[in-house]
Amino acid sequence: MQPLAGIWWSAWLEGWAVNAKLDGEFREFMHARWPFMVRLAYGLTGDQGHAEDVAQAAFARAYASWPRVSRAGDPDAYVRQIVVNENRNRFRKHRVTERLTDAPPEAAAADAVRRCDDRSVLIGALQRLGPRQRAVIVLRYWMDLTEHQTAASLNCSVGTVKSQAARALATLRQDTELVDEGFQ
Amino acid sequence: MRIDDERDLHGQLEAAFEAITPRPAPVDRAVRRGRAIRVRRRVAVAAGAAAVVAIGVLAVPSLLHRSAAAGPVAPAGGNTVTVQAPGPHSAPGLIASGTIDGRRWQLTAAKPGTGAAGPGEQIFTTSGPAFEGRGGPQPWPALVVNGAYSVPFRGVLVIGPVQVMFGAVPADVTYIAVRLGNGAVLTLHPAAVYGVRAVAFAVPVGAGIVDAAAYSQQGEIAAAIPFNESDGIAYFGLSLTPGQHGLARASGRIGSGTANGTAWSVTAYLGPWGICYQTNAVGTPAVFCPPTPSDLDSGGLWGYTERSPSLSVAGGHAPASAAWVIVSQPNGTTTKIWPVTVGGQKLFAFQQQTGPNPPRWTAYDSSGHVVRWPAG
Repeated sequence: MQPLAGIWWSAWLEGWAVNAKLDGEFREFMHARWPFMVRLAYGLTGDQGHAEDVAQAAFARAYASWPRVSRAGDPDAYVRQIVVNENRNRFRKHRVTERLTDAPPEAAAADAVRRCDDRSVLIGALQRLGPRQRAVIVLRYWMDLTEHQTAASLNCSVGTVKSQAARALATLRQDTELVDEGFQ
Repeated sequence: MRIDDERDLHGQLEAAFEAITPRPAPVDRAVRRGRAIRVRRRVAVAAGAAAVVAIGVLAVPSLLHRSAAAGPVAPAGGNTVTVQAPGPHSAPGLIASGTIDGRRWQLTAAKPGTGAAGPGEQIFTTSGPAFEGRGGPQPWPALVVNGAYSVPFRGVLVIGPVQVMFGAVPADVTYIAVRLGNGAVLTLHPAAVYGVRAVAFAVPVGAGIVDAAAYSQQGEIAAAIPFNESDGIAYFGLSLTPGQHGLARASGRIGSGTANGTAWSVTAYLGPWGICYQTNAVGTPAVFCPPTPSDLDSGGLWGYTERSPSLSVAGGHAPASAAWVIVSQPNGTTTKIWPVTVGGQKLFAFQQQTGPNPPRWTAYDSSGHVVRWPAG
């Protein structure tokens, strides 16, 4: 008779690696959905570098739980939710980097990308929204999630989604750069 | 396009995001990171299983003779929080460990200057199920004792739903008591960590830290009341000696502008914590609370930098008689700023230009004479 601990350990070791089939499935999924998740993260972060970091972290987490994620049947929703969560955590981590200094850190080199077309003006206006309003706009109006789905994704009430969406749209309507570009 | 037409907004967003061309999918890197996450989870499971076995072996005598080293149990709102100083056989660098609702956490410091630490930094590693797999190493200014403040929580890490606070205490501090919103108290005993005595604790974000007091063998040395931001994260600023009062509570916007298309603003919050500066730019606001009175009295500059979009904001605290401030920007230009009075304090914030030199500032009174801080 195999000792109980031995059974436990062998089960553990058996599950150690994602088997080759699941591994291939994950790789295929990531190749297919990477652009979409980066774009979603871009909508939330407003920065392509951050977006790719967030998307990569989300896919890594999905891989870590891939057998379960795959079994559940909607890996897209799973990764999308991690992108939203990762973005929120990114800001939480980022925000504590302040420190007192006689010499404030030198600013990064100027962004080489000029916001010179309608699309980037819209992205710029999105960036000027608060993170939650931006997330509501992206999830509600780009991804076409329902108010309930958006609320579940952002872990808030439907009422909050409605109010944040209304405020965000009002802010966008008044955004001077959008007005200058003839958006309204 | 009209923004009030939601279908058009969808189309415009679609077009804007379609223009983003991501780099090729880093599948191998994601797989490697995913495997690392699995390993960490499994190690945690194994450690948990080992702990269960150990508890099974030790439970009866432990229950009969409750260890004097056991940390306090403090319900924080709906959560139960414990903290424990390292024992004699703990791993080097362990500052403290504990549990939040039974899920373990620990904070470990690496030897200063080792690992990926930059100059003056140290790597701090958070680990344990309490961090929901998000713990890990992070550089932070090295643990240094500053005699000006006995309540030392200069280290603030927010990891998922948990806030970790840590710092080094002066030699005369025997313990620190942290009071939470529901009246529960965590007692922190300093641990020797690479030449300093350090303390740490972890609580759920939103636990509502009321205050922290440092005690020597003679009694209370100092206490600090944190600035609790609206989303539940606490920041400690000044340490107050017994009988000393902080500033009266007040708040106000001290600067704003737009840089590279990004709007920024800085709001100052005054109170018993001193002055906390909240910078709103990209994402969640960033908060900074200068730790010592001398930082306030010398008008010490603080800085905030966002890499993308490129944005750097700095600010300071001018003497009461200052009418305006001339800032010498890093690129050699000068900027004239009129400080804003908030709670009787003259505060200012400005967009920092890119350049090789650190910014400097000089305050002038209404007659155009240079004003200096009494100490400086």
